[in-house]
Amino acid sequence: MDVTAPAVPPLLLAGVSVVYAGAPTPALRDVTLNVAPGEGVALLGPNGAGKTTLLRTAMALLRPTSGVVAVMGRDTRRLAPEDLADVAGYLFQYPEAQLFERTVREEIAFGPRQLGWAPDRIRDATATVLEELALTPTIDTHPYDLPAPRRRLVALAATLVSAPRLLLLDEPTTALDRAARELVARVVTRRRAAGVAVVAVTHDAGFATEALDRALVLEAGAIAADAPLEAVLGTSAGIPALPPHAELARALHLPVRSLRLDDVARALSERCRAGG
Amino acid sequence: MSALTLDHLTFRYAGAEVDALHDISLDIHAGAVTWLLGALGAGSSTLLLVSAGLAPQHTGGTRTGRVVALGTDLGSTPDRAPLAGRIACVTASPLLQLSGVAATVWEEVAFAPANLGWDIERIRRATDAALGRLGVSALAARAPATLSGGELQRVVLASMLVFEPELWLLDEPAAALDRPGRGMLADMLRGEARRGAAIVVASEDADGMARVAERLVVLEHGRIAIDGSPDTLLRGEATWTAGAGGTAFAALARRAATVAQPAPPLLLPPYPLDLSEAITRWT
Repeated sequence: MDVTAPAVPPLLLAGVSVVYAGAPTPALRDVTLNVAPGEGVALLGPNGAGKTTLLRTAMALLRPTSGVVAVMGRDTRRLAPEDLADVAGYLFQYPEAQLFERTVREEIAFGPRQLGWAPDRIRDATATVLEELALTPTIDTHPYDLPAPRRRLVALAATLVSAPRLLLLDEPTTALDRAARELVARVVTRRRAAGVAVVAVTHDAGFATEALDRALVLEAGAIAADAPLEAVLGTSAGIPALPPHAELARALHLPVRSLRLDDVARALSERCRAGG
Repeated sequence: MSALTLDHLTFRYAGAEVDALHDISLDIHAGAVTWLLGALGAGSSTLLLVSAGLAPQHTGGTRTGRVVALGTDLGSTPDRAPLAGRIACVTASPLLQLSGVAATVWEEVAFAPANLGWDIERIRRATDAALGRLGVSALAARAPATLSGGELQRVVLASMLVFEPELWLLDEPAAALDRPGRGMLADMLRGEARRGAAIVVASEDADGMARVAERLVVLEHGRIAIDGSPDTLLRGEATWTAGAGGTAFAALARRAATVAQPAPPLLLPPYPLDLSEAITRWT
């Protein structure tokens, strides 16, 4: 990558509105948003606020009624989702919406194959992403023979394999157990450190606190807040509360570097040692 | 009387090398919320599918042992008519649960009562009430296919609540819900238990379920590892030993204990269950 080139914003929305046919009110209203490389945005808001609509519009799965969407500098108005496949990855809220191959291996290889990657490269990338998500033992399994949470991880692997510069994730940790949620948080954090921009719809405050730091709040289709995540969590009923360990850190005035679990645990540990 | 009895139940998916459930014996009683917790793949979802009569009938695989739901032996009775309108099964994929024939949310929720042959006035009352209890009355005229994930989950719950089931089987029902939605779900589960329904919920949300469930069954590799009171179990180490995790404050204490060795006694069990207990403990 040419480090001297000015960074192209992975995602840019300008004055975007979306009106569903027959709906009395717009699903998105005049949304303007700029997401920089490496940024981690939590898309928050009550059920039905327009979060998934925004994500779908960013991936050109929906066309804005007005306004402009650009992904890695490409104006998406005349593009289809597959025209963004080399730069953007989309994880659907329900993996049933995106899994259709007969084995996990084929499922993961589908995207890179469409992109024209060489077989060796596909094999290596598939092996790497399956290893990262602890899915290697499932490689020959039919995705629909896997338990639903693991199927979600397969869908995430399929989203990550082609090394997109923009990740659009709809509820990536839903129904995962604690270990798997922590794994997904680590994977997202690693991608961000490598410059990948992440926009995730989530109700999981724990995941958001670990892996993201900017909050974009939607209410009735409009941006109600765009602020640091830790300042936004818990501020209204439709927004997830601070994760319990973060509430405790605030209540006890623990001197923490961040509200991530590790930082709070370190501060609590010191407090307990000092207090006997 | 037991609403659901699993008697030496063993189940294995076709082609699998290990049992998904192994020698499970469990009695689920009416009027209470039983919570299933386990690591990914421990068997909670499979237990619900077998109890609903969906596995092996729709999934393939082999089952031994007995499953008796609401007095009907699911193994020996191919006739499910006696169970119609009595079991509510909410799977982890709400997208796959819509009837597919309803043009509106209202019709979706009215679908089961209509098929049960209720008279129109009763259908109307029950449908409006169920939509109200899940906070989705305003969506009544919407097409189900246009709903967001959280809205869809509420509608699926309403479409079961409407026929007053005797047995609820729910797999991660809070997954797509926002905070008000989670509150409504908790109220609904408690209300249904009071009404006398038997409720089995598989959930990874230990902090949410701690206040809702009377009984916690922890699964590990398809077997019952622990069966007891959530209030007692979540303060201890046993759920963690079984690979099932526990509450956020237990997770925090355990993480903090790894930073300071030897761990200060304040970071060891019994773990606090909620914020006020945690503040008292660690102030």
